[in-house]
Amino acid sequence: MKTFFKALGNLFKKPITTKYPFEQTYIPDDYRGMIGFDENLCIWCRRCEMVCPPGAIVFSQDMEGKQTYHFNRAVCIYCTECVRACPKEGAIFQTAEPAKCALKEENINNGWNALFDEALKSRADYAAEKKRLAAEKAAADKAAGGKKDQEIK
Amino acid sequence: MGKQYEIPMGAQHVSLLEPLHFKFTTENEKIVDTTANVYYVHRGIEQACCSKFKFRQVSFVVGRVCGLCSISHSTAYSQVAEKLVKIEIPRRAKYLRMLVIELDRIHSHLLCLSHVAENSGFEALFMKTMQYREFSMEMLEAICGNRIQYDFSIVGGVSRDLKPQVGQMVLDRLKNFKPQLEELLDIYQNNWTLSLKNKGAGAITREDALRLNVVGPFARAAGLDIDVRNETEDLLPWKEVGFEIVTEKAGDVHARNIVRLNELFVSMRMIENIINGLPESDLITETKAFPDGEAVVRLEAPRGELFYYAKGNKTQILERLKIKAPTFSNVSAMVEAFKGNEYGSTPAIIASYDPCLSCTSR
Repeated sequence: MKTFFKALGNLFKKPITTKYPFEQTYIPDDYRGMIGFDENLCIWCRRCEMVCPPGAIVFSQDMEGKQTYHFNRAVCIYCTECVRACPKEGAIFQTAEPAKCALKEENINNGWNALFDEALKSRADYAAEKKRLAAEKAAADKAAGGKKDQEIK
Repeated sequence: MGKQYEIPMGAQHVSLLEPLHFKFTTENEKIVDTTANVYYVHRGIEQACCSKFKFRQVSFVVGRVCGLCSISHSTAYSQVAEKLVKIEIPRRAKYLRMLVIELDRIHSHLLCLSHVAENSGFEALFMKTMQYREFSMEMLEAICGNRIQYDFSIVGGVSRDLKPQVGQMVLDRLKNFKPQLEELLDIYQNNWTLSLKNKGAGAITREDALRLNVVGPFARAAGLDIDVRNETEDLLPWKEVGFEIVTEKAGDVHARNIVRLNELFVSMRMIENIINGLPESDLITETKAFPDGEAVVRLEAPRGELFYYAKGNKTQILERLKIKAPTFSNVSAMVEAFKGNEYGSTPAIIASYDPCLSCTSR
């Protein structure tokens, strides 16, 4: 009988659900949202890339040695590991703004895999180039040093 | 003896929550024999944890094993990894882990209860239980930043601190929730319509439960006092925050409902104790050691005992990780408990087992 009266009363109550697209749902202040990046503060240690569990951060490098930060919001799991690992406060940070959905046009999975491989390759290329230059320089130094030695003799 | 029919159910079925296949042999609507078939959703997580991910990243991977008991998995893994790198975590981190595990238990148990009500044909109670469950999801979001997959436990401690205003909000919401839970207990205990479907259905005796190695609320409803929180004190101080074991005798669907509801009262009390007596300390113990040797950890997930085994070889990547989920222990008893029941009551019985096949098959 109690339930019956309660059911009657419920007819005149407001619904418990929220009208989501028109009315914002509950979002706490420190919601795990988009990851932000400040290029001016970054010291390019790549620690965030190393700790990221799904591999949503990657740095590419051009032949002059300048690094570029790439981030995929669809692969990211928003675990905040990168923020915790960052040695420079504020270089990588988390905002409370929810991430936007990925669209088909962005080709976010295959495109990202290609970008990831490319970035790793660009870094390997730069490292190889640097090694080659260093070896050349060492050889030149050695040759120059040898000449000097001969001159002294 | 009448004619026997075989009725398959699953792996896709309207009243099944999980990809699980049952084959019932029935005789005049009475089930005489059952076979179960699990492992429809194998994802190769154990292999990925031992090959692709570094040991600090694995706690996020195993958090994705299950959506409902995510925190139990990541905590169990964190504990086993802490044993391998031989560190002791700060006291505050232990308390925060317990807090999230207990909040998680509230939402998991209420989900199970609501599905029992729905599968028994009581749609209104399903809605009511889900409505009351919402507060625990919001509190988890406020504490961890996410409604599911909390990523809260990491190797060495916890990732986020509990803000005082969030703690106060949890306490306030728990005060609101208490009369709601009492109302639910009243309905689940005394509703005549629900009792027709639940009382005496899916019963298992204490001896069978002991023989078939049942864990979790399933075992506690049959009168076995099995609970990891009651047995271990070394990793998380459960007794300090006021844990008490809840058991029932009947072993049927009704008894399981009552065990789950009464456990929620214990969980609520524990959450209050944790927030009121939260110790001050760091959140993480930092270490640069690599995992070495073997370790085993048991933890009480909402569905029962969760077991983790890990082996390290002084590198970043683990050599072996073994997960034994509670549902896996219960499968043999599930098959046993169907015997002698009407076929019509199987949906309610399956929901009352609270099967989690994504845990079991990984």
